[in-house]
Amino acid sequence: VSLLAFFFIVVSLLSFVAAQLILKRAMEATTTTGFRNIRFVFKVTTGIFLMTISFFLTLGLLQRFDLSYLYPFQGLSVIFITLTAAIVLKEKLSLRLIVGAVLISAGIVLVSMS
Amino acid sequence: MRGRPSGFGNPWLQLGLSVACVLVSEFLLKRGATDIAAPDSAFSWTGVNGLASPLVWWAILLIVVSFISWLYVLRYVPLTVAYPLSRIVDVLVPLGCWIFLGELISTLRWCGIALVIIGLALVAKPIAQIEERL
Repeated sequence: VSLLAFFFIVVSLLSFVAAQLILKRAMEATTTTGFRNIRFVFKVTTGIFLMTISFFLTLGLLQRFDLSYLYPFQGLSVIFITLTAAIVLKEKLSLRLIVGAVLISAGIVLVSMS
Repeated sequence: MRGRPSGFGNPWLQLGLSVACVLVSEFLLKRGATDIAAPDSAFSWTGVNGLASPLVWWAILLIVVSFISWLYVLRYVPLTVAYPLSRIVDVLVPLGCWIFLGELISTLRWCGIALVIIGLALVAKPIAQIEERL
């Protein structure tokens, strides 16, 4: 894998993680403020924009690598999202959830290495 | 999980729907991307040339559906639970590649698949217990 490919994989991953956090915030707010709310629209738009960037970068990568090799890189997002959701969104994190997330990530990385 | 709707509005059902759509879209994307692959052109790094494939457009439609049901899931389920569970797709994709695309699964890859399944079980078990009590 070239440095350029690695760069695109990382950018795609980071924009995906950020998008999930923003979307979660947006959807949680709808339970109190509803959908006709400028901050909701702004957050969802930002989330969709970030996911679109991630999508097209992935499409570019898919033209060069096998799906079964490339796709599991997103597995690292499990650890990233679980940790950032706990830190940024203040979600409760049990030992069980941490171990589960680490096993899932490790499993996905193993799948991508082989 | 306050005021959780049942039936089609059940967040766990929606999570399953979201995962199924992602799974199918991945295969459509791989097919579409392979069809119009232009690895020599620098522009193709952006992936935008993928839009020339109809399969890519079908995949986009499924991604939109999965996205809507995913947003719905986020309304009711914490990200620390919903996101790891959604990664069951990372087991289903290699298995699908093995079954439908004839790609090989090495021993190491089988071990990875097993780890993911154990991790999923760890994340999912407390939920199953909560659901039973309700």
